[in-house]
Amino acid sequence: MKPSPFDYHAPTQLSEAIGLLSELGDEAKLLSGGQSLVPLMNMRLARPEHVVDLNRVTGLSDLSVDQDRVRVGAMVRHRQLERSAELVAANPLVAAAASLIAHFQIRERGTIGGSLAHADPSAELPLVACLLDADIEAQGPSGVRRLTGSEFFTSVFTTQLDESEVLTGVAFRHLDPAEGWAFEEVARRHGDFAIVATAATTLFGEDGRYAAAGLAIAGVGAVPQRLDAISLVGELPSDRLWRSVAAEASSRISPQGDIHATAEDRHDLARTLIIRSLSRATQRAKGGDPR
Amino acid sequence: MTTTTDPVIQLEVGSGGGLIGASTPRKEDQRLLTGHGQFTDDLHVRGMLHAAFVRSPHAHARILGIDASEARALPGVVAVVTGEDLAKLTSPMVVSQEGAHPMVMETLPTAKVRFNGDPVACVIAVDRYVAEDAAELVDVDYEMLEPVLEMHAATDPGSPLVDEGLPSNLHTRQTKSYGDIETAFANADRVIETSFSSQRLTHVPIEGRGVLAIWDKGRAELSFHSGQQTAHVTRTLLAKRLGLSENQVRVISPDIGGAFGLKIPLFREELTVAAMAMTLDRPIKWAEDRAENLMASNHARDDSVSIQAAVAADGTILGIKAELWADYGAYAFYPPSYMIDVVGWLLLGAYKIENYEYTINVAITNKCPAGTLRAPMAIVTWATEGTVERIADELGLDAVAVRRRNMIRLEDQPYRSAPGYLYEALTLRESFDEALDRFDLEQFRRSQASARGEGRLLGVGLATVLEPTTYGSAWYKASGDEGSGHEAATVKVEPTGAINVMVGIIPSGQGYETTIAQVVAEALGSTTDNVAVRLGDTHIVPYGMGSRGSRGAAAGNGVAYLAALTARNKVLRIASHRLGVPIDSLTIVDGSIFVIDEAESRLSLADVAWMCYMDPTSLPATEAPGLEVHQTYDPPELTFSNASHVCVVEVFRDTGQVEILDYHVVEDAGTLINPMIVDGQIRGGVVMGIGQALYEESIYDDAGNNVTSSFVDYLIPTADCVPNIRIHHVETPNPNTPRGIKGMSEGPVQGGIASVALAVSDALKGLGVTVDQLPLHPSRILGYLRAAGAQDD
Repeated sequence: MKPSPFDYHAPTQLSEAIGLLSELGDEAKLLSGGQSLVPLMNMRLARPEHVVDLNRVTGLSDLSVDQDRVRVGAMVRHRQLERSAELVAANPLVAAAASLIAHFQIRERGTIGGSLAHADPSAELPLVACLLDADIEAQGPSGVRRLTGSEFFTSVFTTQLDESEVLTGVAFRHLDPAEGWAFEEVARRHGDFAIVATAATTLFGEDGRYAAAGLAIAGVGAVPQRLDAISLVGELPSDRLWRSVAAEASSRISPQGDIHATAEDRHDLARTLIIRSLSRATQRAKGGDPR
Repeated sequence: MTTTTDPVIQLEVGSGGGLIGASTPRKEDQRLLTGHGQFTDDLHVRGMLHAAFVRSPHAHARILGIDASEARALPGVVAVVTGEDLAKLTSPMVVSQEGAHPMVMETLPTAKVRFNGDPVACVIAVDRYVAEDAAELVDVDYEMLEPVLEMHAATDPGSPLVDEGLPSNLHTRQTKSYGDIETAFANADRVIETSFSSQRLTHVPIEGRGVLAIWDKGRAELSFHSGQQTAHVTRTLLAKRLGLSENQVRVISPDIGGAFGLKIPLFREELTVAAMAMTLDRPIKWAEDRAENLMASNHARDDSVSIQAAVAADGTILGIKAELWADYGAYAFYPPSYMIDVVGWLLLGAYKIENYEYTINVAITNKCPAGTLRAPMAIVTWATEGTVERIADELGLDAVAVRRRNMIRLEDQPYRSAPGYLYEALTLRESFDEALDRFDLEQFRRSQASARGEGRLLGVGLATVLEPTTYGSAWYKASGDEGSGHEAATVKVEPTGAINVMVGIIPSGQGYETTIAQVVAEALGSTTDNVAVRLGDTHIVPYGMGSRGSRGAAAGNGVAYLAALTARNKVLRIASHRLGVPIDSLTIVDGSIFVIDEAESRLSLADVAWMCYMDPTSLPATEAPGLEVHQTYDPPELTFSNASHVCVVEVFRDTGQVEILDYHVVEDAGTLINPMIVDGQIRGGVVMGIGQALYEESIYDDAGNNVTSSFVDYLIPTADCVPNIRIHHVETPNPNTPRGIKGMSEGPVQGGIASVALAVSDALKGLGVTVDQLPLHPSRILGYLRAAGAQDD
């Protein structure tokens, strides 16, 4: 379990990293937290000829909250997201999702940029980026590009980034103080990859009906999916409503089976988790579960 | 005080300094917990090379040719060797036993690969990186053969042969019959049928296998540093297969990071490394990585039990017929009689059943070979207790009452089981009753019913465990297995009174350095701090049978205790002579020799030791100089301990997950040396049982590829999977072992599997599903619930 030979590059400037990527093309791979890439290299499932380490690059590790956005540098560790009081106040959903990633030792190293760029179909942060349609910033030889979280993921381990671009940061909207949210997942054990994960947001009008709602799911396809067509807006919350939403959503997904869960299991789990996350998000919106 | 070295007489129960029975903190923990342990991969010597293995990507293929020229040309590569090369340097292993065809295992295969991960060539290079690079460059030309992947189909006459030296993939089929099975079935009111199947899984020690082999050309001696449970037996095999004399081989087992029965046989990789260290005259290390460990270290289980029980309407079990199957994979590391046959002779469990017949079937397939994972008989308690539950269900009787009707009581013993084993001092019924005193079953049934009313699925599993331990030489003889169950110890009281103890058992987490210090200090009237325990080095330790089959306590600690008593006897004879008082008026406390009832010591253990070495003319004329005792001890044919487990689970309809809510163990392992260590063994064993019941599985796809070669896919229980396990000890000494020690450590696995699986079964009762296949992972549970139409929505 040793990687095949590779050249290691440790740039300190972003421009240097982009230059290396432009020069080396698809023979290069960016290293951020290393929690996915390094095991894949050790198992020789990934065998890049060049590894460009982003850990010494300045300017990628800031987490800041301004009036309407949370801006997270690509090299911010999951553990920082989980423990940032500012982030928890502005967008508790991102912090909650980060806290469910693997084990804390892994969260100390893993980065948001790495997770989004790796694009594991069951990963937590891509699901949240998709649900909240996060603003993803990438920089390449021809400058800065802005990509949207709902379109960023194109297939398993594949994104809209091209091979000479570095994902530099991501911005999330604030959650409205009255907005309910939930992140729910099922894994075989604590810290395992989610089999299925769902995230939801809900906002109520004066009339006690849903004024806005979002729902997204991961682990049931090649990329996280927003279930936009399913609208709760205008409805009164009820277990029956959530069940019908879940049934409808379940009919729109075509998951594949693996050794941990069959396609049928994933349909069942999708229904369970949609009901749970809508219920939880509704409860939070109604003040039942304060931040 | 009298002492004796006659091992069959129970010695001094309840006497001594209170060290036996004390939860003494582990002496080895200072080293292990502060990172000062030394494991095989921590060893580095000058000029050391590294090995990596080329492994088969196929389940079954003929080797047409191996081209290693590109690999040999890679800078840093010292050698690449294949089965053809090794056949000149080593002899093959042959496992033979009456009733089965001998199976030959070459050091590396020359004709065929037989499973995904089978080693086909070995690269020796300056480091592991280069060795792995070169392994990729070895070009093996394979002719694909149809893989044999399912044990029943494997034995069809038309199936391709896994081992072309055998007439069939059915390695053995043997039937054993006791009592009058025909009459029992003829007289039965009902015949109840059950079946139980366990998945294939593996050992997963934290530390994989490994070796550092050093050939000392000057002395013509091989040092084999490797975590080995049975170092002396390994030495014997190594010498034989390398063509060396046994006094040219030294096996040194450093600290071991878990073994669980994996590190018993001499594996092909370690033998290859030793042969190459000799050939190249260079030290070579190989450390198994996790992918190798999960794919190509021995697997285990993959067995099934089908039972027909002849019962009377009142729940009396009149007779049992059982059909047992096991898939031993591609090669035989063990004879067929060992692993699956143990399930056969234990299947009657805690119950008085006179009429019994069982048949074992062993199939050879294109999967990783099977080995002795802690509790090779692990499935047995689930099968027995599950059958008793089914009998009660089918007859409309209470399962506790059916158990009690058939259980063996203390007063029924000595009791000889139908297959001929002697049960003594077992509290099968009494510990079961104790467990139900501690767990209010009626109260639980009420909670369970009210939870059912709310749609929640709660269940309880009760399992009474009969655990065989400490196989004696008579067992080996009777079973036809090569080997012995005796054990050896040397106790040396050095001139200053410091004590060194050498025993042939080898620790991989069991705390022997503590418990052996306890029993020796107790026997010699010393303190545990004054006793150093040295294990695992065949140049230092007397020839012993090592650690397997829960023999550490009764055989390993037992023989150390007996040797220390012999030393004590000599000390007291000398002290008696010196002080001019009768020997039975003397005792030793904390290293000081007292005349009983006197407040002041007149002589110390150290004084006597000094005389033995430095002033032997002062000794009585009948005493030889020195204070060293070597002793061997052959325990009874078999010793048993027993336990009762109670497990409560909730099964979640919406996710198929199982949560363990409560867990009790009542354990009777006889006299306990160190209850804290026994508790650790119980907890560890139950956790392995939980792993088998709910999580672990080695899976092959339809082409025979192992798809569980990393921890992403092979799941072992983590902290969140493990409940608080409440333990109660009953201590009923065995009359035939030193101090009444029974030993234990595999029973908790049996009980864990059984009680968890039966609890899940109980939770699903009434839904029309039969829980008969492990593991009970969420996917299987969701499948049951779908079949029953009992899902949440």
